[in-house]
Amino acid sequence: MSTPAVSTAPALASRRRLVTCLVLGALAVGAAYVLVAFVIHWPDWAEPIARYVLTVGLPATLQVSAAAVVGATVIGIVLGTLLTIGWLPSRALIRGYIEIFRGLPILVTVFIVYFGLPALTPSLKFGPLTATAIALILWGSAQVAEATRGAVQSIPREQHEAASALGFGWVGRHRRVILPQALRRLLPPLVGLLVNIIQNSTLAAAIGGIELLQAAKSQSERLTFFPPAGIGEIHAFEIFAGLMVLFFLISFPLTRLAAMLEKRLV
Amino acid sequence: MLLATYDLWSFVSENWRELLQGLENTLKVSAIAIAGSFVIGVVLGAARAHRVPVVSQITAVYVEIIRNTPILVQIFLIFYALPQFGILLDQFTVAWLSVMLWGGAFNSENFRAGFEAVPYRYREAGNALGFSPRATFFNVTLPIGGRIALPSSINTYISVLKNTSLMYVIGYEELTTTAINIANLTLETLEALTVLGLVYLALVWSLSAAIRALESRLALPEAR
Repeated sequence: MSTPAVSTAPALASRRRLVTCLVLGALAVGAAYVLVAFVIHWPDWAEPIARYVLTVGLPATLQVSAAAVVGATVIGIVLGTLLTIGWLPSRALIRGYIEIFRGLPILVTVFIVYFGLPALTPSLKFGPLTATAIALILWGSAQVAEATRGAVQSIPREQHEAASALGFGWVGRHRRVILPQALRRLLPPLVGLLVNIIQNSTLAAAIGGIELLQAAKSQSERLTFFPPAGIGEIHAFEIFAGLMVLFFLISFPLTRLAAMLEKRLV
Repeated sequence: MLLATYDLWSFVSENWRELLQGLENTLKVSAIAIAGSFVIGVVLGAARAHRVPVVSQITAVYVEIIRNTPILVQIFLIFYALPQFGILLDQFTVAWLSVMLWGGAFNSENFRAGFEAVPYRYREAGNALGFSPRATFFNVTLPIGGRIALPSSINTYISVLKNTSLMYVIGYEELTTTAINIANLTLETLEALTVLGLVYLALVWSLSAAIRALESRLALPEAR
């Protein structure tokens, strides 16, 4: 699908700006690396902790986030599209789902999945990371469903009529005609959702799931023990501030991307 | 099955004192944090909208840091890392301080957008009437921009209320901590989670119903 070049100049300018940003970002990361590796002398305790947090915590955070964002997007788009059907019972059911999971604090949803489901039936017992991912899917799909409803309803009625006239049924009409157009409007909120899910995956720390935050916390506690285990010193500030920098480095480009997509697509 | 022993009524009648105390703490922390984030939002939002040098740049950095890092890490930094510098805060202070700083960052963006949405000609009219810049702000920009920012700022307050549940991780006895502690003690997990969920939904839903009522009352005449 090739769109006619309506205004290439602004697009070019923004592409050039993007390239500039990327180059500057790469330079900043390189400069930071040189500074850290050769100029600043790392204390002895820092390296093993950084390695543990990055090799154990980071993959867990990324796994939970990836599973949650995929699940939330798929379920949310389906529910949001179904919400545009006027049939009252289905609409009431989906509306209830959205209002409940957007209304509950995510931590409470995490507790419901982690403590509540096993109390209901023992077969629904999940590990802390899986439980967090499920809770994030429940919350995220409610967010996506609401956004999808708006995006689908913003597609003009003529598109529905034209698709029907071409012989598409309800499913084909939405899958082939309406949703591809709605997805364009959905992209910025989806990137925003990804940022929120990455940040909220730290909730796993509240139920003992070892992701970035829990890994950092356990290491900062270990350091305060006496020599065989730790070094008897408190370095909580360095560790949590470093974790904050790591999250910032992940989130900031994504929030910029979301803002840029919003400006370009909508 | 455990469902056979599910008895919400006896759970509530046995534990209502503790739960009420937890709810009170949740509301207390939320009220302080909401009031604080309102003040932070108006002051820093005005500074950004009027491009006050230094203050507006510092605000931009503050907002980006808060928005791009998990609030749980911010809470841990305040609770576990500040004692390293001799700043020892109790759980209650950490509770309202951390959600206030979080809400303030989001709120300053809400109010910045609201103040910037006030047409420039309104401020010019204020100047033409001989208002000082401060009088123009309090009589023109704040009432109009504040109304524009109202719905999004109330959404931030709802998030502030919901985020007080995170104080579970520092053991502050608000509603979530109380309910989970009772559940651990009595093993009535399902009852505790039911009460917890229902109370939060009641709070959040009534607050968002209040937004809608307030929105139509405070809407700008031309937007009605």
